[in-house]
Amino acid sequence: MVNGAWVCLLAPLAGFLAITLAGDRITRRQAGILSTASVFVGFAGAVVAFIDALSREPDDRAVTTTAWTWLAAGDFKVSIDLLVDPLSITMMLVVTGIGGLIVLYSNGYMEGEDEERRYFAYMSLFVFSMLMLVMGGNLLLLLVGWGLVGLASYLLIGFYHDRSSAIDAAKKAFVINTIGDAAMALALFLAIAKVGSLDYSTVFDAAQSGELSDTVVTLLALGLLAGAVAKSAQIPLHTWLPDAMEGPTPVSALIHAATMVTAGVYLICRTHLIFQAAPDIQHLAAVLGLITLLVAGGIALVQWDIKRVIAYSTMSQIGYMFVGAGIGAYPFAMFHLVTHAFFKALLFLAAGLVIHHLDGEQDIRKMGGLAKSMPYTRWTFLIGSLSLAGIPIFAGFWSKDAIISSTLAYGGALGWILYVGALLGTLLTGLYTFRLYFRVFHGEPSELVTAHTHGEHSDEGARSMLLPVGVLALGATFVGFLAIPGVWEPFEKWLEPVVPPLVQATTAQDWFSSLISVALASLGIFVAWRAFQARRELVPDGFARTALEHKLWFDELYDVAVSRPAQLVAMRLRDRIEVPVVQGGLDEVAEGAVRGAAATASVQSGLLRTYALAFTVAVAVLTLVFLVVR
Amino acid sequence: MMGPGIPWYLAISSILFSIGVAGVLLRRSPLIVLLSLEIMLNAANLSFVGFSRLFGEMDGQIFALAVMAVAAAEVCVGLGLIVAMARRRLALDVDTLTELRG
Repeated sequence: MVNGAWVCLLAPLAGFLAITLAGDRITRRQAGILSTASVFVGFAGAVVAFIDALSREPDDRAVTTTAWTWLAAGDFKVSIDLLVDPLSITMMLVVTGIGGLIVLYSNGYMEGEDEERRYFAYMSLFVFSMLMLVMGGNLLLLLVGWGLVGLASYLLIGFYHDRSSAIDAAKKAFVINTIGDAAMALALFLAIAKVGSLDYSTVFDAAQSGELSDTVVTLLALGLLAGAVAKSAQIPLHTWLPDAMEGPTPVSALIHAATMVTAGVYLICRTHLIFQAAPDIQHLAAVLGLITLLVAGGIALVQWDIKRVIAYSTMSQIGYMFVGAGIGAYPFAMFHLVTHAFFKALLFLAAGLVIHHLDGEQDIRKMGGLAKSMPYTRWTFLIGSLSLAGIPIFAGFWSKDAIISSTLAYGGALGWILYVGALLGTLLTGLYTFRLYFRVFHGEPSELVTAHTHGEHSDEGARSMLLPVGVLALGATFVGFLAIPGVWEPFEKWLEPVVPPLVQATTAQDWFSSLISVALASLGIFVAWRAFQARRELVPDGFARTALEHKLWFDELYDVAVSRPAQLVAMRLRDRIEVPVVQGGLDEVAEGAVRGAAATASVQSGLLRTYALAFTVAVAVLTLVFLVVR
Repeated sequence: MMGPGIPWYLAISSILFSIGVAGVLLRRSPLIVLLSLEIMLNAANLSFVGFSRLFGEMDGQIFALAVMAVAAAEVCVGLGLIVAMARRRLALDVDTLTELRG
């Protein structure tokens, strides 16, 4: 179990190092193969750990292994620990399995790009960082992984570094993520100060036993939540995710849909004992998730960029996971994370096929009627869309409805608000998903599409691209059967020892909410179809549309509230302090040094005998002084 | 103790050292300056050996040997420089060699 986990963690790191150190001694294709192989070796390690865990008793599946003590200061010690338990194994399988498929897809997608080797090195680095995050056996290693995935995300968003928009997006993502990282670091400092340890069990025990004051626990949970919110692009720290679509499409699929952005959900599940000790903060997580899922779903209705629509739907779906984690339905939040990883990666990769086919065009107004020329892409995209909208038998249905029925079971005012909001979300999901699908694949082929269609069965992409899409489509269809409420629930049983759920919906509640949500999603699809046929937009012109097109002015607000004042302060500091004091002071120091040097230089006459005389006199004087003073 | 006492050795040593200093300060030929330096080094050696004998320990003598080795190395370098100067027909006068003036 432990060996498998180590292989899983270190294989992508080895891939990253090998590609980096080999430089241009390997070809681009070899770099791609190396990276793909490293991630799949990691997947094999994860599978070994998984099988080993299955062969053990359910209560005996959590293993912590310590490699060495990393840093020690007095009583405070942090070790390189790996924690292998059902929760981390689930994440390992998702990260390396779906990550491997996406890296394989990249081999075809990035063919012919400049600097492919750099791309594959970053991809391996990302997979390693993400594994570090989920396998780290204490809060500090979690934070290390947390920071590293932020770095890898920054590097990959800014991969097209000759595009200024990509650089801006990368910086934005990094800065906003850093806010979350800083909040998490503060929470960790608090834990060190009050608990004296960063081990999961010690901190959890302290939070549960009541030896910490309520304020401390609340602040601790709040810091962790801020980190989760920033990484998972939830309101109010969500503005970076749509811009992150500047990166290559497989990067969006891997980092900004399937794995990294779900790290916040993982964090809440992992530290759920802290959150349970601070129920207000846990409810805050659910409320933020609800707001995000509605707002992002609304914005997705008016976006024109194929990737941005999917990006907003990612935010929206992570909102569902936050709702689930916020009411204590941890296994379902994790389950939605897993199914979402499948269908969202599928949607992104299928969108990548479209973008690849149309030579980089991402505007859906220029698309249409692709169903004929790209049948494979169309069917897989349809599977992804149905799964996303939560139509039965597809994976998204099982996971999303489990969360929705849990909110119903949770009850109370909060439960009802969440329930209604989540149901409204399913309507929005059906609308925006199928607006996108119909726009891209149905209707008459647009000019652009006709120009790119050659013959009846045009080439949809390399085999390395089609294969991962097919596998993900199978996953997006069948993974949902891992948790059928009341019938067969291996997924919940698997996670239960680590994250026992706080709420459990009854069968009646399951049926009730499923019926409503499927009806709403179907209504959304139907409305989207009617609107498409009538060539109408879903959101009519007016205030609502303007507001959604401006993404509710979050960017503008942050610009006025944070960015401009910061720039103003920086300018003032430059004019008042930097130039006159720091720079001026340095100039004076330099001039003084020059003057002093000139004065000293004149002593150097170059006459040997003068020097000798100076020595002699000095020694004589020193000797005399020595004798006299003694 | 046999022979003259330590004051004699020290007296001779200081006389030699003063002669060396005077040579370095007053003469302008690099060859003579080098020679005077050797005299100073050997004046120091004489005190070393004298004290060594006074205290009955070998340290001073070892030091004297080390100083000789250093002196030999120094003569090699110094003479090499002087020969090089002579080859280039530079004036053998330390007062004219002032190129390192600041």
